[in-house]
Amino acid sequence: MALIKLFANLRKIAGTKETSIMGASVGAVVSGLVKRYPALEASLLVRSPGGLPGNGQIRSHVIITLNGNPITDLNLVVTEEDQIAIFPPMAGG
Amino acid sequence: MNGWNGKILEIDLTTQTHKEYPLDMEMAKQFIGGRGLGARLLWDLVGPEVDPLSPENVLIFTNGPLTATGYQTSNRFSVTTKSPLTGTVLDANSGGFWGMQFKKTGYDVLIVRGKSPKPVWIEIKDSVVAINDASELWGMRVYAITEKLGQNNNKRNVLCIGPAGENLSRIAAIMNDRERAAARGGPGAVMGSKNLKAIVVEGSTRPEVDDKERYKFLMYETKKLLAASPLTSQALPEFGTVVLMNIMNNIGALATRNHQQTQFEGAEAISGEELTEKYLVKNASCWACPIGCTRISKTEKVEGEGPEFETTWAFGAQCGVDDLPAIIEVNSLCNDLGLDTISAGSTIACAMELSEKGYLDSDLRFGRADMLAGCVEDMAYRRDLGAELADGSLRLATKYGHPELSMSTKGLEFPAYDPRGLQGQGLLYATSNRGGCHMRGNMIGLEVLGLPKLIDRFQVQGKSAFVILHQNSNAAIDSLVVCKFTNMGVADEYFARVLGAVTGIPYATGELIKVGERVWNLERLYNNREGFTPKDDSLPPRLLTEAPTDGPSKGWVSHLEPMLKEYYRTRGWDENGVPTPKKLADLGLNKLVSGG
Repeated sequence: MALIKLFANLRKIAGTKETSIMGASVGAVVSGLVKRYPALEASLLVRSPGGLPGNGQIRSHVIITLNGNPITDLNLVVTEEDQIAIFPPMAGG
Repeated sequence: MNGWNGKILEIDLTTQTHKEYPLDMEMAKQFIGGRGLGARLLWDLVGPEVDPLSPENVLIFTNGPLTATGYQTSNRFSVTTKSPLTGTVLDANSGGFWGMQFKKTGYDVLIVRGKSPKPVWIEIKDSVVAINDASELWGMRVYAITEKLGQNNNKRNVLCIGPAGENLSRIAAIMNDRERAAARGGPGAVMGSKNLKAIVVEGSTRPEVDDKERYKFLMYETKKLLAASPLTSQALPEFGTVVLMNIMNNIGALATRNHQQTQFEGAEAISGEELTEKYLVKNASCWACPIGCTRISKTEKVEGEGPEFETTWAFGAQCGVDDLPAIIEVNSLCNDLGLDTISAGSTIACAMELSEKGYLDSDLRFGRADMLAGCVEDMAYRRDLGAELADGSLRLATKYGHPELSMSTKGLEFPAYDPRGLQGQGLLYATSNRGGCHMRGNMIGLEVLGLPKLIDRFQVQGKSAFVILHQNSNAAIDSLVVCKFTNMGVADEYFARVLGAVTGIPYATGELIKVGERVWNLERLYNNREGFTPKDDSLPPRLLTEAPTDGPSKGWVSHLEPMLKEYYRTRGWDENGVPTPKKLADLGLNKLVSGG
């Protein structure tokens, strides 16, 4: 199972800083995360017109890194050794 | 005339006289205000023969046509001078309230020249100018003098230097409204060299707006845009800038222990999450700002603004310190003494490495949180080793025979982002006209945060175009002058519309960005005239040759050389980094160079 780390307000919403989720791709892992912590859905996923979860589409400005590399391709393969970090929109400097 | 007041105030401290004269409106149209107008005036006033700490250097305080109109974040001002730290053109800008109040005195520009024979402070009340004796104020710290001179956010605002500026520390800041800082490059030392302790402004003149209905509508739309952006409505208000600590650490681009590593094991302990959970009292904001990114934090010893991300990093990861209360307290101390927190922290980190390697005889070691406050005090008063730290890391490292251990470009210490994991950021540092700086462009947005879209952070080819785009855009925003965070919700083209509504001069988006390009090229011309060459567009050898041995940036160094060649070409400069005659003609700068 891949290790998922959450940051900023996502920790408060999920009630945890990290968890492990099974999944073959980044998208599958994120879907598994939202199933385990439904409160995260509004922060992470775009809602479909019918009000149902939006097919795993990530909200704009949500940042996902796979082993420390920012990614946009949710089809990337995930192994048990991988670490996924998820950050809400952030800015600064 | 709308937007601008149309007046420059010039004070000569040597003769203790002042005069006012009209702002050249052709110049104002070409350079707008803030950083751009400051650079244009500095070009005429301060040549290569001038020592930055001599009476011949000037301080140019500028606002812009949007300032004090009430447009979102129209509170900022810029101070331009020749930097005593880098020898380059320098502008440092600051938020708060002072910039707005300065504009309301009826002036667009304040030029301070000469040197007073004794300490003085200046008071400007609605165009009435007084130069007052400051003998009894000399030596006072920032918080005390700000209160003594009557700081009142919406009515009367104090700008001053602390002991660091008085003692000519080359990393001294100019402070305003108690805890806001025009910090980088040592403008506080220039103010100290003139025996000028403070400038207090009080005004009642609101700038005229050309098309009030259109302006009102654009303000309404801006409000909606800022509210709709998750960056300006949630990210910045909720966690402030320190929220970047964990993500920069996660991707292996958090400079650690004077850039010896790119990840810090103590990052979580000094993160925005930690600050918010344990030390945050409330948010605060500058005048006319709906974003409110400022954090008021509290420990057992202090309560005040900050610390921002760069400060937390400089005294934290860069010094190997994971003690957040100590960082909050040293941030407050720097504000009270009037020191640039980035340069102060990074200079201490440089001294720590020099000491650990046996090049410098001191007790400084990475992780020594207990030594930070003492070091900063010594810097401001030039005591013991502090006398050497006070002039920044490059002079320190050079004195001890290892200039390569100064993590700086052109002598200005870098912020937190390690360019080995962020190729575009490295090019940004190397080419920044005021030295290693992150405020000349937001490559972190593109290379990490996906603002507006994510690009490959390790890619080299083609990076220069992104860097140039950001540099030109930021130079334009710095010339308006508004807060760069506004640009996270409001596009450049929007600023052009607002500028047109306020001034009555139609600025297309392309024209506004062209102003930015003009400013950038003028700053480059200034530095070239000072003797800077392509060898100064560089990074420390560590970043070019020593790859991190672990973490997500493992194996990467900055591939600066090919990016730099591409950058010069894309800028329309020759291989020596000199703008070509064609480029200068296109930007209307050719007459400056030819002396016409």
